[in-house]
Amino acid sequence: MNKHENINKLIDDALKSADDIKRAAVKPFLLTRIHARMNKGKESLWEKAGWLIGRPAVAFTGLCMILLINITVVMVNKPSATDYAVERSSQQQVDEFSYTVATIYEIDNTQQNDK
Amino acid sequence: MDQPELITQLQLGDESAFTKLVDEYQDMVYNTALGIVQQADDADDITQEVFIQVYQSISSFKGDSKFSTWLYRIAVSKALDHEKKKKRKKRFGFVQSLFGGDGEEQVHPVEFDHPGIQAEKKESAAALFRALKQIPDNQRIVFSLHKLEGQSNREIAAIMNTSLQAVESLMSRAKASLKKELNDYYQKNIT
Repeated sequence: MNKHENINKLIDDALKSADDIKRAAVKPFLLTRIHARMNKGKESLWEKAGWLIGRPAVAFTGLCMILLINITVVMVNKPSATDYAVERSSQQQVDEFSYTVATIYEIDNTQQNDK
Repeated sequence: MDQPELITQLQLGDESAFTKLVDEYQDMVYNTALGIVQQADDADDITQEVFIQVYQSISSFKGDSKFSTWLYRIAVSKALDHEKKKKRKKRFGFVQSLFGGDGEEQVHPVEFDHPGIQAEKKESAAALFRALKQIPDNQRIVFSLHKLEGQSNREIAAIMNTSLQAVESLMSRAKASLKKELNDYYQKNIT
């Protein structure tokens, strides 16, 4: 028998090998395992939430959202050049008119001494 | 308890009816899953999932088809879902390993030894099951349901929700694909 004929015979044998197959037996206590699985499925709301948050896709998306919100907040509240100019001019005004508590007391004391 | 009564009792939530259902159909569901996934532990998992699904959705069974047809449908769809999940895990594990991680548990295809095959045919059957893994899903299902479960083409058409002609065509394509796969395998392995 040459190789080609041999292979054809092997193919036929393989195709016929499942002709009188018998059913395989299930492992014992299937019903018990089904019940255990059904009870395991009854999780509390917190367990379900924990499971959901713990999923890599959800956790990663959440993390990205938090980062995005942080970046947006920083960008929106970034002080602009005008803000800086306004702040600077107010500071200059304060310096110029010396609106400090110590100065007011000093003025008060000077007035009393004059009297 | 006859079948319509069993289904009515199940729909009413009768626990003993569920026990009877599992008892009666466990071999059928398990062997259908085993023929598709070719892993005893996976088939066991799928069998459990199928019965849980039946318990939860028995109210949706209206009796339009035979109960066994409905059950086969669930078993086939769960087995295919399981296969897809496993392939996804395998891909994810591969990607992880590229980045230096340990990766997910690698799924190495092992030779499947069906316990219902006669001892003298084990070697040929192993080659057949290996080839079955390589052919398209719908061809594999048709072949498995026919050869392993002894279903007629008409019953397979009802399970797969397709026409008789489509099943016949799938069956002949499955045989051709299997012959090709087996030929490739033996060409490489026979000296």
